[in-house]
Amino acid sequence: MTAVANAPGPAAPAPAPSPRIFRYQRQERRFALLLFTPALVLLIATTSAPLVYLLWTSLMRIDLTMPYLSGFAGVENYAKMGGDPRFWNSLLLTLIYTSTTVVLQVVLGLSLALLVMQIPRGQTVLRIAAILPIVLAPVVVGLFWRTLLLSPDFGLVDLVSRTLGFGSHAWLGDPQLALVSVIAIHTWQWTPFAFLVLLASLASLPPDVFEAARIDRANAWQRFRRITLPLLRPAIVIVVIMRTMIALSAFAAIFAATGGGPGTATEILNLYAYRTSFTEFNLGYGAALAAVLLAITLVISFLMFRMRRGR
Amino acid sequence: MKRAFARRFALAASAGMLLSIWGFPVLWALLTSFKTERDVLAYPPKILFEPSLAAYRDVLFGASSIVPNLVSSIILSLGATLLTLLVAVPAGYALARLGLPAKRTSGFYVLATQMLPPVGLIIPYYLVLQKVGALDTYVGLIVIYLTFSLPFAIWLLVSYFEDIPREMEEAALLDRAGRLRTLWYVILPQVRGGIAVTIVFVFLNAWNEFLFAVVLGGNRVRPVTVAMFNFISVEQTRWASLAAGAMVAMGPVMLLGLIAQKHIVKGLTVGAVKGGGRR
Amino acid sequence: MKERAGSVALRNIVKRHGTLTVLKGVDLDIRPGEFFALLGPSGSGKTTTLRILAGLESHDEGSVILDGRDVTGSEPGERDVAMVFQSYALYPHMSVYDNIAFPLRMVKTPSADLDRAVRESAARVKIGHLLERKPGQLSGGQQQRCALARAIVRKPTLFLLDEPLSNLDAKLRLETRVELRKLQRALGVTAVYVTHDQEEAMTIADRLAVFMDGNVVQVGTPEEVFRKPASVDVATFLGSPPMNLLPARLAGRDVVIEGHRVSLAVDHGRERDVLLGVQPSRIEIGSDGIPAQVDLLEQLGDSVIVDLALGSTRVRAKLPERTRLAEGAGVHLRFDPADVHLFDPATRKRIGD
Repeated sequence: MTAVANAPGPAAPAPAPSPRIFRYQRQERRFALLLFTPALVLLIATTSAPLVYLLWTSLMRIDLTMPYLSGFAGVENYAKMGGDPRFWNSLLLTLIYTSTTVVLQVVLGLSLALLVMQIPRGQTVLRIAAILPIVLAPVVVGLFWRTLLLSPDFGLVDLVSRTLGFGSHAWLGDPQLALVSVIAIHTWQWTPFAFLVLLASLASLPPDVFEAARIDRANAWQRFRRITLPLLRPAIVIVVIMRTMIALSAFAAIFAATGGGPGTATEILNLYAYRTSFTEFNLGYGAALAAVLLAITLVISFLMFRMRRGR
Repeated sequence: MKRAFARRFALAASAGMLLSIWGFPVLWALLTSFKTERDVLAYPPKILFEPSLAAYRDVLFGASSIVPNLVSSIILSLGATLLTLLVAVPAGYALARLGLPAKRTSGFYVLATQMLPPVGLIIPYYLVLQKVGALDTYVGLIVIYLTFSLPFAIWLLVSYFEDIPREMEEAALLDRAGRLRTLWYVILPQVRGGIAVTIVFVFLNAWNEFLFAVVLGGNRVRPVTVAMFNFISVEQTRWASLAAGAMVAMGPVMLLGLIAQKHIVKGLTVGAVKGGGRR
Repeated sequence: MKERAGSVALRNIVKRHGTLTVLKGVDLDIRPGEFFALLGPSGSGKTTTLRILAGLESHDEGSVILDGRDVTGSEPGERDVAMVFQSYALYPHMSVYDNIAFPLRMVKTPSADLDRAVRESAARVKIGHLLERKPGQLSGGQQQRCALARAIVRKPTLFLLDEPLSNLDAKLRLETRVELRKLQRALGVTAVYVTHDQEEAMTIADRLAVFMDGNVVQVGTPEEVFRKPASVDVATFLGSPPMNLLPARLAGRDVVIEGHRVSLAVDHGRERDVLLGVQPSRIEIGSDGIPAQVDLLEQLGDSVIVDLALGSTRVRAKLPERTRLAEGAGVHLRFDPADVHLFDPATRKRIGD
């Protein structure tokens, strides 16, 4: 007769009291810590510790041209910022630069991706053409555009502009044009990134949804608006987030192309911070500017991630 | 029939036009690098010209040869890549698969460190390295390069580790492999692809780095990105040499890009999905 | 007293997952050389129990004793246990040979012995000709055999199998079932086998434990469990189709269903409500008995399942395929009192012997 459990079997000895967190779990934890600690130490050393130091420096007056004036300054640097027109200029430029280039990248990248999806062959060639700008060093791209493309008289862009009847211009010499030019440079280099990511996303969309829409007699535009776009939304959001982060900290290309000029026409915030620190040697104020940029970056990324989560 | 053809044509034409916008500038630079300085300044621009290696000779063997800079770049990039891998692979594994205490916070932390604008970091770096006397040293710069490569590498690797079925470790442990041998014999071989992608990205980013190199480097540590400015001065720009210099400086990464294009696209999309990435 | 190799005992295993108690006090004794099945629906705790045996999961109370040794808390590698996973968990980057050799390499078996053992295991499961291939190049059935070979190559004390046949197609499953059984017999190793397929457990196991909702509700040979299910849950889980349950009224010797009286062999005492269980194959259709109406006939080829409505209850009978019945026809059901199972509707447990 068998009812519940405890069928006859070999008698078991009195069991030892069992530890709640087993020995092997503790060993696993120790192993994990061993593997992770070097990275943690290095990360703290290279990112968090310097950050603290940055904030501390921003509270100091460190002017290497007038060393005798150095000392603790409290929030003096930040107060100064409020009344500094160059700061507000750089903030505005950062805003224009970042938003314009990100929007352009997404729109162009998406259009390209949609186009290329329709072309069954030749995708490899296009992929190679897309990868080349991305792997180049931004500083080289900046120099390149500055000399080979945007130089009045000799640059390719200038040549094309003259041929088309728009005449020759000081693409990097004229303050407004300079801003347009640097936006163009950044967009040129990074649109392929958006293109590749969106192309991959497009390629991974399930075809049956589109077939169903066709059967339901939706035309191309409706299919795009009501199916493609919503399905692509996560990928687009990610691209926007990533490109925004990069645009906020973009440095080398602008530095190479204009150095922030002419004057301060292309001096986005991080260039202003750089110039203040390493050209004018006012490290305290430069640190404060960098700290503000950091704060802005953190706020924007926080908002964007929130947005992403919310959707 | 005709509509389909017109459509095809329009598509191909637009694709071609766009290809030219992205492909042509690079081609133009390539062409320029084979011109003599005189030919470069000619107007209308010469499409057909007599190719000359003068620019390359100047760039490689001339007074402002960038060969020492190439060496500098190689040391920096290889060093950064190696160090990153050594640290990121175990860390990624611990984060992805092991019972790491405070795992979620650690994950967030790694993600957050990618958000820092480099300009915010060079000031403290400069001050600290100066105090320690590590300015213009390879060791100093390689460690600093970890700032951007380490978080990204960890994040990439975590996603690759997570793709491996959980039973792999269980089976290996039951087979008496122990945790370290499980990682080495069973898990790592399965993320070979992910490690390759990570190597490509880290190397690329290190090679192309400018800001850290120019501020924290000097005469000894001077990678090609900094050396590019050799060819530009107030008086005169040596166009052909600049183009040749750019070709040489970017040669390795362009080659890497061509060879590893599938890897790169994969890395971009993986990085995009998991929310990491730089540059 | 030295324990015979391969005995397993679980004492009061409790596992909690947050506020949920996944295992509520599992006690099991498994004899050396036994093929023991853990049977139950998904989420009943059988796989968790297996993994606790393997050392892959922790538990909050109780102990695991292998061969008289308390192994609670020891590493999976220390327990001399081999496991075949549902997904096989073969190392995809290694050849079949290396997969099978892996456990031996990990304990530094000398190469001559290793080679012999690998080839022997492979031959036993008939994949000796596939040693150079990689798992990705094998069919599902071949992968399963590879997993088996890897498990048996080191002659473990305990052999655990987590639904190893569920990824195979039906025909292959039936064939492999038999082979598994023969293999275990040949090796004489204690095997613990998890499945949710009651037919599989019934045909393959020496004894089985039925899991329901984190508890072991019955242990016994397949025959014992089938013929005397300990509770309503067990009764309705086993059998295809499972046992019919009819609400009835019990008084002394008689049980009344839908106004019909059935006389039982034993006096069960006071009057109360019960659930009466009877196997579909034990129902006869005749001219007298409990009235019911035919709803549907399911032809199986060698038998026919008749869906009937008995009052407000549905009943299924398994009858020879020659049976001719019309849908909607009124019929009478009879069954032998010896085939009657009685259950308490409140506790859901078996009443009587």
